[in-house]
Amino acid sequence: MEVVQIQRTLMDYTKSLFMEGLLDSQFLQLQQLQDESNPDFVVEVVSLFFDDSEKLLNELTIALDQPSVDFKKVDSYVHQLKGSSSSIGAQRVKNACVAFRNFCQVQNIEGCLTCLQQVKQEYYLVKNKLETLFRLEQQIVTSGGSIPMIEMGF
Amino acid sequence: MAPAFPSGDDRADFGTGGHRQFSFHDIVLRNRLTALVVDGVDFCRLVEQGFLRSCGLETQGVNNGDAAVELIASGAKFDLIIIDMFLPVMDGLETTRRIRALGERCKIVGVSAYIGENDREAFLAAGGDVFSEKPVSPEVLIPILRELDGQYSNI
Repeated sequence: MEVVQIQRTLMDYTKSLFMEGLLDSQFLQLQQLQDESNPDFVVEVVSLFFDDSEKLLNELTIALDQPSVDFKKVDSYVHQLKGSSSSIGAQRVKNACVAFRNFCQVQNIEGCLTCLQQVKQEYYLVKNKLETLFRLEQQIVTSGGSIPMIEMGF
Repeated sequence: MAPAFPSGDDRADFGTGGHRQFSFHDIVLRNRLTALVVDGVDFCRLVEQGFLRSCGLETQGVNNGDAAVELIASGAKFDLIIIDMFLPVMDGLETTRRIRALGERCKIVGVSAYIGENDREAFLAAGGDVFSEKPVSPEVLIPILRELDGQYSNI
């Protein structure tokens, strides 16, 4: 496939992620930090986010599975997840954390369990999409092309 | 009153309906400013430091409050300190208090995943200057950097 074709596919794909609310402008900011001196910045940061989030999701699953749930602990994990998902622009994960927190604060186990499912769903969805995005970028680079810059309009 | 932004060849417009998109590339500093980022999550710290560096700042990062306090106590000077309120062991509020107690007058920006009015008040009472939602955005940071650099904001 021609580089131009892949670039167009990447643009459309990235655009769809924003339109669907999976990513927000924070992700664009991250992309702007990537340059020749830092060519893998986004992939590196996002990979760390994946590791961090999966650890947190595990901890949350364990914490909510206890006979006596420590809601303070659960709240702190959700707090961390909200901070980190918003730092890379994973908007729907972030929003799912907001709902989650509300249930923590009123100590509603059922609500928390539902929210955990929701957060996991959103997380694995954005992870999947980002991995596809990175694959497309990789294809462009190995074909000798450059990754097109995306910018939000006014 | 559309701002005149350089138009690149490969840029796609998303038309987000009137939302002004600041970029960390919008700013050109005259002076060499330094910043300390205090965040317990490695990649968050990388992101925050990355943004500051792209604005032309020299940055250092630590992952806990004690290290930040030690650094200041040892005489390290910063124009700006960004502190995540949610730190391991000693939290962001206490870290802010301790830094102020050392006589440090620099600009301190507190960031948090949750920003309630109580959180803001507590941070200001601890000696912080600006309280912002995490992640800190160009909209919040650029005016601060301009102020520190002694420039006038033209926005």
